Amino acid sequence: MLEIKNLHASVEGQEILKGLNLTVKPGEIHAIMGPNGSGKSTLSQVLAGNEAYDVTSGSITYQGKDLLDMATEERAREGLFLAFQYPVEIPGVSNLQFMKTAINNIRRHRGLDEVNAAEFMKQAKAKIEQVNLDPAFLKRGVNEGFSGGEKKRNEIMQMLMLEPTLAILDETDSGLDIDALKVVADGVNALRAPDRAVVMITHYQRLLDYIVPDYVHVLARGQIIKSGGKELALELEAKGYAWLGIEEEASA
Amino acid sequence: MPGWASKKKHPHKGKHNVMKTINTLDSIDFGVASSLHQPQELKHFSADKQAKLASWTIPSRKTEAWKYSANRLGLNAANIEEASVNVRSADVTTPYQSAYSLDSYTVVIRNGQIAGDLPQHAHLRITRFEDLSPEQCQQVAEGVTASSDQLMFADLNAAYLQNGVFIELADKQTLDKPLKIVFLQQGAENSFPRVFVSLGKNAAMTMIEESATQSGLNSSDLAPASSCALVNSVTDIRLSANSQLTYLKMNLDQDACKHIASTGVALMRDARFESYNLALGNQLNRHDLIVKLLEPGAECHLNGMCVTKDRQHVDSHTSIEHVAPHCTSNENYRCIADDKSQIVFNGRIHIHPDAQKTLGSMSNKNLLLSSEAEIDAKPELEIYADDVKCAHGTTIGQLDETELYYLQTRGITREQAKLMLTLGFVLELVRACPVTEIADFWEQTLTTILGYKA
Repeated sequence: MLEIKNLHASVEGQEILKGLNLTVKPGEIHAIMGPNGSGKSTLSQVLAGNEAYDVTSGSITYQGKDLLDMATEERAREGLFLAFQYPVEIPGVSNLQFMKTAINNIRRHRGLDEVNAAEFMKQAKAKIEQVNLDPAFLKRGVNEGFSGGEKKRNEIMQMLMLEPTLAILDETDSGLDIDALKVVADGVNALRAPDRAVVMITHYQRLLDYIVPDYVHVLARGQIIKSGGKELALELEAKGYAWLGIEEEASA
Repeated sequence: MPGWASKKKHPHKGKHNVMKTINTLDSIDFGVASSLHQPQELKHFSADKQAKLASWTIPSRKTEAWKYSANRLGLNAANIEEASVNVRSADVTTPYQSAYSLDSYTVVIRNGQIAGDLPQHAHLRITRFEDLSPEQCQQVAEGVTASSDQLMFADLNAAYLQNGVFIELADKQTLDKPLKIVFLQQGAENSFPRVFVSLGKNAAMTMIEESATQSGLNSSDLAPASSCALVNSVTDIRLSANSQLTYLKMNLDQDACKHIASTGVALMRDARFESYNLALGNQLNRHDLIVKLLEPGAECHLNGMCVTKDRQHVDSHTSIEHVAPHCTSNENYRCIADDKSQIVFNGRIHIHPDAQKTLGSMSNKNLLLSSEAEIDAKPELEIYADDVKCAHGTTIGQLDETELYYLQTRGITREQAKLMLTLGFVLELVRACPVTEIADFWEQTLTTILGYKA
């Protein structure tokens, strides 16, 4: 489904990713862990198509297509979804309007008719309740005045609405209390299917108590330096990054 | 000279007269004269204002309050011949009547004359100007716009006083439905409608003021300034102690009219004034809003949304006078200019020496959608008291890249994301409008104008 080869990427002239390789197959859940400054967020932004990041060499193939050749919105329509580490507030654009527009764009791309208004409302209400947010949030501006936890839940709500083929979660678990963490985990687990895949970028092992990954990778200094099964996360938790000879580049 | 006495045009006025240098407002004949029998006191008031026209220099680029809009006025004597053509029909259907459904008490003033019947209500007294008592005439003459020395077009309205309504809501009454005033314009005749609104103590109501043209809705071509009608309206409002008025003003006509409206509000102790103003562009759409907080505890919240495209023009001048201590004012104006259009926002807060403990805030955010569009924003703070909290902020900018990107990551095209953000920029204020029927109508209108589709 996703094949990243020798990816080099920089932001503002500074190289962050230095030859990253990763292969994700349908049905798999991958966790990417690493200290601050290792390039985790750069990877997620490059995958989503943020133009502030320059890919200097390497390739990304998504479902047999050249991902780097696709515009941001095209990637989304092809089923790629990024749950933001810092979701953006958009006052004035309601959650409902936002989701309806997004879904219609994706549906049109797939040659489907626009979503039925009643069906859409029903689904939106069901999904927002699934992430434990008040349905009144649907009418509010996108993330406008939401707490950190509410923003993360709203990302998961969007993910559930858009039903992506490949979901990338960028530190969605950071800063969450245990209830919110369970909401996020339930959302991801609900999405789990043989034809879908999830890449979870995380700083903490805690999330992996609720979502069991198939693979765990350690990202450091712009490269994946170690890969393994779920037990790798536990080992990291117990021994710390120093075990792999990595120094935390910023405060952990 | 314009005025009551002369129904006919002055013999000197004619096409040959264009050559003459025109300096002051009294040198122009606006082509209308009252045929009504006004009370003596109103005639005096009007005559005083007629005399005052000689002191008003016709606005030019050098006139501070008209710096960016003077060229839109097109005031000269040449168009009078045309403007005198009087179009009348029995039809008093207003253009937006079916656009939104809202049960209201409605007063239609067409081309400066009251059209149709006035609503009847036990506690809401609506009086035609010809039937005003001397005391009511006195109130008209002492209204905020009438006593201002800065509003030349409010003076012009008074000088050409046609007819109007005097509206009084009795003490302690809360009006069950909104009161709607429609300034309806037909043809090229200039018009000078006037409204006076007075709320008794502890009274509360919602008032909607709508400007509309009976024909030629949404014609996109702007006629030259000199050949289109001038609709010069005045609304004076007096809010007695602890009364509350929600004032929704809309000028959605994108036609060839020139609209110049003045609204003056006087607030007594603990009175509250909340306004929402949606202005779309046309040849000239000028609004002067003066709010006077005259006694402690008074509070005003002014919200405005201006959206222009093509070569349209909107000019909003607001002035908040903090005369008494312990008053609060809050102002929020959002403007979007596209194509070669222009928006002017001038927001003034004047805190008088006695107005201690004032809380004032003004926010004006502007969005330019084209490199040829222009927004002239000027916040003005004059503070003469030393114990006040007053904040203001003005921004002019383009759309936020991070927000665009976020929308794109959900499959929305960049173009559509731009439209969403543009619409959202004004809808934030529209959605705060307490009359949902109007908020929904405005949302639909703006969605159409900005070309957004979900």
